Amino acid sequence: MRRATALILVLAFMTLLLADFVAPCSFATQFRDAVDAPASRAHLLGTDALGRDRLSRLLYGARLSMLFAPAAALASVAAALIIALLAGCMGPWWERAADAAADLCLSMPWIFLLLAARALLPLNVAAGAAALVTFGLLGLLGWAAPSRVMLAAVKRHLRSDFVLLAHASGCGRARLALVHLAPNLLPLALAQFLIATPTFLLAEANLGLLGLGIPEPLPSWGNLLRELESLPSVAANPWMLAPALALVAIIGCFHLVIAADEYHV
Amino acid sequence: MSIENRHHPYWLAPVVQRLGLLAIVLLAGGLLGAALVRVAPGFGVDERMLDTRLSAGSIQAVEESRKEGSDVLRYYFNYLYRLCRGDLGISVSLGRPVRELISERAGVTLRSASAGLLLAWMAALAIVLLLEWLPRRVFETAASVLAGTLLCVPAAVVALGCLYLGGLPALAISAVLFPRVYRYLRNIARAACGATHVLAAQAFGIRKMRVLTFHALAPVLPELLALAGVSVSMAVGAVIPAETLCDSAGLGQLVWQAALARDLPVLVNMTLLITAVTAGANLLADAARAAAQAEV
Repeated sequence: MRRATALILVLAFMTLLLADFVAPCSFATQFRDAVDAPASRAHLLGTDALGRDRLSRLLYGARLSMLFAPAAALASVAAALIIALLAGCMGPWWERAADAAADLCLSMPWIFLLLAARALLPLNVAAGAAALVTFGLLGLLGWAAPSRVMLAAVKRHLRSDFVLLAHASGCGRARLALVHLAPNLLPLALAQFLIATPTFLLAEANLGLLGLGIPEPLPSWGNLLRELESLPSVAANPWMLAPALALVAIIGCFHLVIAADEYHV
Repeated sequence: MSIENRHHPYWLAPVVQRLGLLAIVLLAGGLLGAALVRVAPGFGVDERMLDTRLSAGSIQAVEESRKEGSDVLRYYFNYLYRLCRGDLGISVSLGRPVRELISERAGVTLRSASAGLLLAWMAALAIVLLLEWLPRRVFETAASVLAGTLLCVPAAVVALGCLYLGGLPALAISAVLFPRVYRYLRNIARAACGATHVLAAQAFGIRKMRVLTFHALAPVLPELLALAGVSVSMAVGAVIPAETLCDSAGLGQLVWQAALARDLPVLVNMTLLITAVTAGANLLADAARAAAQAEV
């Protein structure tokens, strides 16, 4: 099951990377003679209110979300790993400081912080810059939970025999952290990365559906879901559910990989 | 009460720790909020300065009145001082005191969030107890699929679905919370029901419902209280999409409107308020958990 879902994720990712070749047209191309068109051979998922091919927008939008979300997850997990290693190896005061900082960060409601930080952006910010800032903020705010898990793992490893041996051999703190502790934390970091990525995908989708995500004309999973706000349109054109179904499938694959991974870590 | 409890109650240490954290969080949040407002584009600019009908002297007077923000330290101090006095500033987009806006809408959000939490917990507990009472693979699979699917759907889409079904924001909040609460409860119940003393109680022929309630769930009350504290934070996060999409005039909708209008005084003060609420909920949960652990 784990291999199958991982394979599906890899295939989906490869398809999205090749969106420039797979998509029927550009995400911004407007077919003005086919506005709100139903599904057909020319437009497999129909067109939207501006005559843009929905399948192309889904491929490009999913690509953007699937590139930025893992990047943000990687950044937050990397920050968490560095903080955990520093806190664990530098002494109890650093450990308490890291714990307190993580507590502080976890106590604040991230969605409110994200909204406040988004409100700082100028009105004429470019869509690409907005995408970078949105996922950057997610990455910046997402380090606290993984850091607590990793710090607990660092403390556990520090009591283990191989670390005692390293200490007895005169191993310095830096070498201890990089050579002995970091490789043992990589499986945990991978698990945290697999947990953070779907969380960030869902967060961007929520923001986009509320109109606070990546602005037009750049498609993203969030702003693709905005079409669902009109029930009569969705009832008449059920293919409008395609972005939502695709997102559920991708997130579901991540969750299945994580669930299978829990038995192996 | 023992001598130890009279001098050092078990619940005191976590409560003091949490209170200290709450104070630091609010201070840090206040400073962060002040910094956000201070660096926001358009800070210190008054619309009246662009009014060509005003004379140079009037514009000068308006500029003088905005000079408070030029001194950063004084700005921070005044912001915190006003915060301590309950003056949350004026909404930029609505032109009304933020305190009034919050007090008008707090009741709606409190009702929605409380009802949503209650519904989610009742549904999750009912299903978990049913699965322990009637352990059938088909029920377990169905519950896992339902919870797993809901976890994969963005909260805003869940809220839309509830809106289309004619549901209230409370239903949307409960639909968002249910899979998360269910997953934790299921793991807790599974571990609790596999405990040696529970197996022994079953072997002695004690009725299943009594085993579940007194022998399985009672000892894990501390974990349930911790989960209750965490679920308050989850409910707070679900309030924004639920109230926005269901068009309910609560705090969630206020925050969304403030985000669209770049109304930082509302956003910053709402962030502080919600931080205080969630930290307070976790503090109560920790205190109750410590007290329950002492009893157990």
